[in-house]
Amino acid sequence: MTYERGLALCLVLEIALFASIGWNFFTAGNAGEIVRASAEIGLLALALTPVIVTGGIDLSVGSLLGLCAVVLGVTWRDAGWPITVAAAAAVVAGVVGGGLNALLVARLGIPPLIVTLGTYSLFRGLAEGATAGVKNYSDFPESFLFLGQGRIGVVPSQLVVLVAAAIGFWLIVHRMAVGRMLRAIGFSPDGARYAGLPVGRRLGSVYLLSGMCAGVAALLYVARLGQAKADAGTGFELMAITAVILGGTSIFGGRGSVGGTLLGLATLAVLQNGLRLADLPAELAGVVTAALLLAALGANRVLQGRSRK
Amino acid sequence: MRRLGGGLTLLALVLGAGACRGGGGAGGTEQGQTIAMMPKNKGNPYFASCRTGAEEAAKELKARLLWDGPTETDPAKQNEVVEAWITRGVDVIAVSVENKEAISTVLRKARSRGIKVITWDADTEPDARDYFVNQATPRGIAETLTGHAARLLGGKGEFAVITASLTAANQNEWLRQIRLVLAERYPEMKLVDVRPSDDDRKRAFEETQTLLKVHPQVKVVMAICSPAVPGASEAGLPNDARPYLKDGVLDSAVLWNTKDLGYLTVYTAHAVASGALKPGVSSLPAGRLGAVKVEGDQVILGTPFTFTKDNVDQFHF
Repeated sequence: MTYERGLALCLVLEIALFASIGWNFFTAGNAGEIVRASAEIGLLALALTPVIVTGGIDLSVGSLLGLCAVVLGVTWRDAGWPITVAAAAAVVAGVVGGGLNALLVARLGIPPLIVTLGTYSLFRGLAEGATAGVKNYSDFPESFLFLGQGRIGVVPSQLVVLVAAAIGFWLIVHRMAVGRMLRAIGFSPDGARYAGLPVGRRLGSVYLLSGMCAGVAALLYVARLGQAKADAGTGFELMAITAVILGGTSIFGGRGSVGGTLLGLATLAVLQNGLRLADLPAELAGVVTAALLLAALGANRVLQGRSRK
Repeated sequence: MRRLGGGLTLLALVLGAGACRGGGGAGGTEQGQTIAMMPKNKGNPYFASCRTGAEEAAKELKARLLWDGPTETDPAKQNEVVEAWITRGVDVIAVSVENKEAISTVLRKARSRGIKVITWDADTEPDARDYFVNQATPRGIAETLTGHAARLLGGKGEFAVITASLTAANQNEWLRQIRLVLAERYPEMKLVDVRPSDDDRKRAFEETQTLLKVHPQVKVVMAICSPAVPGASEAGLPNDARPYLKDGVLDSAVLWNTKDLGYLTVYTAHAVASGALKPGVSSLPAGRLGAVKVEGDQVILGTPFTFTKDNVDQFHF
């Protein structure tokens, strides 16, 4: 049994359990709500998968989401741009933010943990500075809010974005030569360099993509809540990283899968939602998540060690 | 190979969680109404005190009270909790609103599903809820505060205000009302300065010192911040104010009774859900509070309560 299958089994058991103890848990409507609540973190987690596969990390995505949300609000309301142009500007802001990470990691060779810890503060600081921390942009047009609150048939609109992103990242990581390069870089950056791989360019591109996804996630977030404020996406980076790691991607790089990330994401999202519908305190989610993460990875580690002997 | 024995571990964990519910849960709609009530922040003593009143009322009404809310500042959390309550199916939702633009969408959704919605402590947009339980009108607060200042000053002289932050909407509305009350009733009193405290005790202390240096003739300092913004209310609650009240430095502390606020909210929620409170009703029977005034779509808790050194020991929050 592979790690992903084990995780999938956990998810099925989790769903079965909440279906039996929760109120209205096992309904199509609730499935939609789970997707809605997890779409933004899902996008961030998908983008973080190739980053972590290269042995890197991006702690700045939550802050960048906040900055992009503010850019959307400023360009749309203060500058009076049409909403589509403002949305494009927000995504461009994400690409620029990701570009800064890419430059510092790939060109200057500063460890990603340090770079993105810095930009984590920088992006949030810029967002708060631009709005004095209190400005709140709201009253976005209905057509834009549809992205976060509408449904296409029975499908919540952000599911379309999430599925498209999942397919894109699956192709990159599992079906293209780039994916193998990312893995090679994760296993051994020096080895990859000696093998003639364009390590710097590949590394740069994953941080760029991560920034772009933060921009798109900002659009989903603003459209879902109907407001853009500097505190948008606070703490999202850690939840996204948790989903990726729970999904079986190795924090040391080299190993990881997009499917695992989606399973990890679903496990966490169902847990949050199921606890609430079962009238259990949501604080329990933190404890159970921690136990889950440590138990799953611990078991994986023990079994791996055993199979090596 | 990468293998996993984690499946069983997870099962055990989740079953553990299930067992917790088995103890506390059971029943639901069949044993009366389910009232879901949300504070701005679960960890704040102000709201903990509201909760004791809410639970008292729920017991009297034989209603089931769900109390949940954010423990951190993520603005999306209040929405997620309301979403879950909509899916779960409750009779009425009562929210102390952190962010009115963000939450109004989801509250409207709740109403469209037939769930009654009221707000308490802090309001949302009027079309997103049925009623607002108002702890005190800005006018009532202004009158009480200015009345105390006038008593201390003998009706004339200078005074200053320490507010929350210069942008806080609640406080600015109160200040506007205070200025109106001054113009109408106390023409000889003068508000010389308004300083921010940013909801921080130390900052308030420093600002007060500066203020007294710049305006030595100021005899009364009115601090409208700490009890005001519920997020920072600790500094104004009786336990904190007690030593100062006893010392005589602080003459009186004005605050609504938070326990009564929670109590009244549950009574209002119950009345709205059962149909007893509907447009046109001007009075609501609320248990030990007696008949409470209803103005339009607002249920008014009453004039703020004044804590003095003689009564402060009766309160323990």
